[in-house]
Amino acid sequence: MKKVGEVVLLWLLILFIHNAAGEGYSPPGKPTNISCRSPEKETFTCWWKPGSDGGLPTTYALYYRKEGSQRVFECPDYKTAGKNSCFFSKNVTFVWVNYNITVVATNSRGRAFSDPVDIDVVYIVKPNPPEEVVVNVTEDKDWPFLQVSWKPPKMADTRSGWITLFYEVRLKLENKNKWEEVSAGQRKTLQIYSLRSGGTYEVQVRCKPDHGFWSEWSPSSRVKVPEYFPQERSMWILIVVFAAFILVIFIWMVYMNFHSVKRYLLPPVPGPKIKGIDKQFLKSGKSEDIFSSLVVSDFPPTTSNYEDFLVQYLEVYVPEERELIMDEGKDLQDDSFKTENSTCDNDSGRGSCDSHTLLTDKGGGDKEDGQQSDQEGSQAEADTKSQEEALEEELLACSHENLQSSNVSNEKEKVKSWPSLFSPLPQYSLSPVNRPNPPKTGQQHCLSDSLFTPNSMPSYFTQPGPSTRKGFRSNYWECSFDHKQSHPLHPQSAAHEHLQAQNDLNTAHVDYMGAPLDVHVLNVRPSEYVEVQRVSVEDGVLLHPVSPSQEDSRTLSHQTEDYSRVRVVNNDNGLLLLQRDAIEEEKSMCPYQEDVVSRASITPTLQNSATGINIALPILDEMAASGYIDTATMFGLPTH
Amino acid sequence: MQQKSEKRQLGQRRNRLRTCRTDKRTMAQRRISGGKLFITVVYLVAMCRAVPVNDLLDRASQRSDKMHSLSTLLTQEMDSHFPPYGRMQMPRPADCHTSALQTPNDKEQALQVSESDLMSLARSLLQAWVDPLAVLSTSAITLPHPSKSSISSKIQELQEHSKSLADGLDILSGKMGPSAQAISFLPYTGGTDLGQDRVTILNKFNFLLSCLRRDSHKIDSFLKVLRCRAAKLQPELC
Repeated sequence: MKKVGEVVLLWLLILFIHNAAGEGYSPPGKPTNISCRSPEKETFTCWWKPGSDGGLPTTYALYYRKEGSQRVFECPDYKTAGKNSCFFSKNVTFVWVNYNITVVATNSRGRAFSDPVDIDVVYIVKPNPPEEVVVNVTEDKDWPFLQVSWKPPKMADTRSGWITLFYEVRLKLENKNKWEEVSAGQRKTLQIYSLRSGGTYEVQVRCKPDHGFWSEWSPSSRVKVPEYFPQERSMWILIVVFAAFILVIFIWMVYMNFHSVKRYLLPPVPGPKIKGIDKQFLKSGKSEDIFSSLVVSDFPPTTSNYEDFLVQYLEVYVPEERELIMDEGKDLQDDSFKTENSTCDNDSGRGSCDSHTLLTDKGGGDKEDGQQSDQEGSQAEADTKSQEEALEEELLACSHENLQSSNVSNEKEKVKSWPSLFSPLPQYSLSPVNRPNPPKTGQQHCLSDSLFTPNSMPSYFTQPGPSTRKGFRSNYWECSFDHKQSHPLHPQSAAHEHLQAQNDLNTAHVDYMGAPLDVHVLNVRPSEYVEVQRVSVEDGVLLHPVSPSQEDSRTLSHQTEDYSRVRVVNNDNGLLLLQRDAIEEEKSMCPYQEDVVSRASITPTLQNSATGINIALPILDEMAASGYIDTATMFGLPTH
Repeated sequence: MQQKSEKRQLGQRRNRLRTCRTDKRTMAQRRISGGKLFITVVYLVAMCRAVPVNDLLDRASQRSDKMHSLSTLLTQEMDSHFPPYGRMQMPRPADCHTSALQTPNDKEQALQVSESDLMSLARSLLQAWVDPLAVLSTSAITLPHPSKSSISSKIQELQEHSKSLADGLDILSGKMGPSAQAISFLPYTGGTDLGQDRVTILNKFNFLLSCLRRDSHKIDSFLKVLRCRAAKLQPELC
């Protein structure tokens, strides 16, 4: 019994030991992950992943089978491709053929079969990376760029078209992590722009067949971009600075010339213009030319004859005050006479020649354009001004004294003033006339067309006898204008104002020569017509202002007819007044001529013009938009 | 849309080429060897002043490339949803209906094939797939597959490409001589019905698609080889 038990124990021990001795070894594990790749569609390589080896040296074998055949082949080359790989050379590689590949792991304990894998060479193409990657930095007008070029992998036969490769380039700055990828198609070169100056770039290239896998990236090619200054920015800075500088200058210029620019852009509104008078021409300041434009050329006597004219004036005796006034008027006349060649205005239907114009012109010769071409004018200007004031007082006194009829109100007096010509006149018009030179003043009186209304008085205007020598001093209607005081005394500053209907006061001094002269000094307002009320037998003419209403109604209708002009002076005491019609024939209404006529003889110079009573009415017509001082209206003849 | 534009361009070229074809055919028939024939083709093209051959080949190869890409997508789409357990063993491509056609198996063989033969092979393969594609198109509509609509649209696109490529290759082959115009008849005998049960249908579908993938790759390869051969003046392409 005991022996049997010992034998059993021995058997158990032997079995146990036997078993223990074989525990570390096992058959190998199954190889996995068989992958095959072909770099050029001519050969291919398969790799597998071995399983556990079971503790024993394990060998791996790859067996493949081509489609349509049951014949099994073993891998021809286990070494070329490394460990756990099988390299299929050209001889054994066929395209468009399915390979059924199996890897077998074998060790002493057993063997393991991997899962079979079917492959077709044309579907597993993964080329090698491109070769000979060359990166150059090229300068292009100070803008560098990278020129990358490469070659296809050696094994890939792209020349015959067996493999078609597409390339891709990527680059990054050396110290950055982000790659920038650029596709290059089938080309083998590439240009890369917009580089950072002074940066170092890494460039890599890879390729891919038309139907296959991307290759690995080629080794990095490093390149350093030279420093270059981005000129674009500096240019913009220069442009901005320059533009700012120009802008500052421009603003400064505008600021300095602000007023002139403003005047250029927003010109001041000009005032009303005198019909027929060229404003600019008047502004030109050439008084001679201006007068010539207004008056018939032949009319104005030259200054050389001025004295002669003066001498020829009839002196009329007048009271002191009147003398003063008359003197004043004569001074005025002198000035106006000189400065004013012609007061005639062809445009005006009425007698535009006006002694008043002369007066005003004389006094305001400098008003016109600031030119004082006339010495006497300049000289007399100062005088006239002083005289003017005196005259004005005189007039006022007269008017109040002598003015009797209400008709002689000033309102009738309508004055149309030639602004430029008459402007000076107002200054002195109201002042009492001083008569430094009776003849002078008398001469200056240019009696324009009409003096008296035909209906109001006969055409004769008799002068006072005793003072006949003085001539018909009555060129001036001396009127005291209540309202005019305000206007005319203000010197006309601007030349253009003359052209406007300024209240230039043309004092008309009617010198009623002789004491008995019933001088009716009319208190006439600038815009009043004076109507000859009656003619004193001896030496007087009564003038009364025409009511405005009457004037308005009748002015237009009668104006043409109402003017009368002194045609001739029969003797020292008589004047022939012409009707309007006759007057119109004669253009020049200059007082000069009329003054001359006042003499007993008619001087040759007065041939062209009808001599008229030089009644200078300082008539200012405020309402005369045309700026004329219409002598006819001034005298208030027609209606008036 | 790109396909349509390509089709249009191809059609235009065909019209231009047809006028030259009759005149030049007689001259071309005298050439015998493949190399001389090819030079003749180029010469004829120059005389005709038509669209150059390499340009035509370029367009044809692009079309075939597109076809192969579509077929590859189709197979991948089929495999993504194909239940692996139901999948039969991988269909053996030797059973493809086009396996009878002798085609080069490696690069050396392929490069030794003449241009006319290559063209003939391509045209034969293309012609062989007209019917199967129709079968596939009809079957895809009722395919028991989740992405059958996508598959169906791709198959229709494939058909269009195939048709236009066939027309283009007709013109090309006309320039290359009679041997290029010979087409091997490869009838499809699979019938219009892929099967009865789902698994059979899917397997058949897969099988056809794999065959198509290969054949489209062959066509593409042949045309690209031809393209590089004709582009001797433009080495940068090849």
